[in-house]
Amino acid sequence: MSESPFQGRLIRLRAQEPEDEPLLYEWFNDAEVTEHLSMRYPLSHRSEREFIEKVSAPSFNGVQFAVETLAEGRLIGGCGLQDGSPENRGAILGIAIGDKSYWDGGYGTDAMRTLCRFGFEMMNLHRIQLDVYANNLRARHVYEKIGFKAEVTKRQALYKFGEYQDVLVMGLLEGELRWDD
Amino acid sequence: MNTRPYEGRLVRLRARDSEDAVAFHSWFNDWQVTNWMGVRYPVARGREAWFVEHTPEPGFTRAAFAVEALADGRLVGNCELQCELEDRTGTVGIAMGERNAGFGTDTMRTLCRVGFEVMNLHRIGLTVDASNERARHVYRKVGFKEEGELRDHRFIRGQYRGTVVMGLFRAELKREETQ
Repeated sequence: MSESPFQGRLIRLRAQEPEDEPLLYEWFNDAEVTEHLSMRYPLSHRSEREFIEKVSAPSFNGVQFAVETLAEGRLIGGCGLQDGSPENRGAILGIAIGDKSYWDGGYGTDAMRTLCRFGFEMMNLHRIQLDVYANNLRARHVYEKIGFKAEVTKRQALYKFGEYQDVLVMGLLEGELRWDD
Repeated sequence: MNTRPYEGRLVRLRARDSEDAVAFHSWFNDWQVTNWMGVRYPVARGREAWFVEHTPEPGFTRAAFAVEALADGRLVGNCELQCELEDRTGTVGIAMGERNAGFGTDTMRTLCRVGFEVMNLHRIGLTVDASNERARHVYRKVGFKEEGELRDHRFIRGQYRGTVVMGLFRAELKREETQ
């Protein structure tokens, strides 16, 4: 009970702040970061400022966090739960680790687990859903490891980099979140 | 599976509309009605119209309904659930303009069914004037449990009255008359 609902083993979730803007701008204009994200076009500083402003009033309908490391308090990414439906008790998850030096270190996995736990324990969700691009094998492995199941293949639902690819819908129900690697 | 959750045996819940303000105005200026409610001062016609006009469309955080008789569609009351998103709890508000026990019971039963089957609530709660024996009887009959009393909670007509807190879970809702 004493454990913070925002804290995982390697990271903590906190609100997005205006001073996060320069890093968000850098990440979301970096082709390596956006390859597996929905962004297609270059983003302005203005759009990043507006994004931070927009997510400054979190609620059941939508909550967006900054992800920072526990060790150094360093901002490494963002994540959130959107489109909360109170009757279905469902929400849509989104996540991006923008700091590439923190890829493959377990930070994304820990952020996912912490975010899902927040959804179940603080928002009282029953189901968390996400979209993942079929060729994003690394992310799919993480999502499956923590308990998500691939439920639907949306065929050729994404056009990026000159070709179509499939998009998987994955879901996690309350009680299915796994903390052991 | 009941695919018509808004219909009870005697009443139907529907969205409120501007025309309802006329009846609401007369009820909320009727001491027999407001005796048991939070309404303490007279309500002007224009203010009631404003309230009705600004009632949001039914949704999770506030599902406010007009209650009409199934038999002839006449307006007999209003009711609502105000809900907390994460807690999945709803708080009942109800006012019957026609004080016919059958309407009140059927309205409560229907409203609670909407709360559980449409809105997926975990708990429905209400507060009732401790001296309002008739209402307490109706709520108990529907399945509500009395959980405690806030002593001397309200001062009405020269004396303090208690407020009883009641609560209901999905499995406790009694759907049919058992007596």
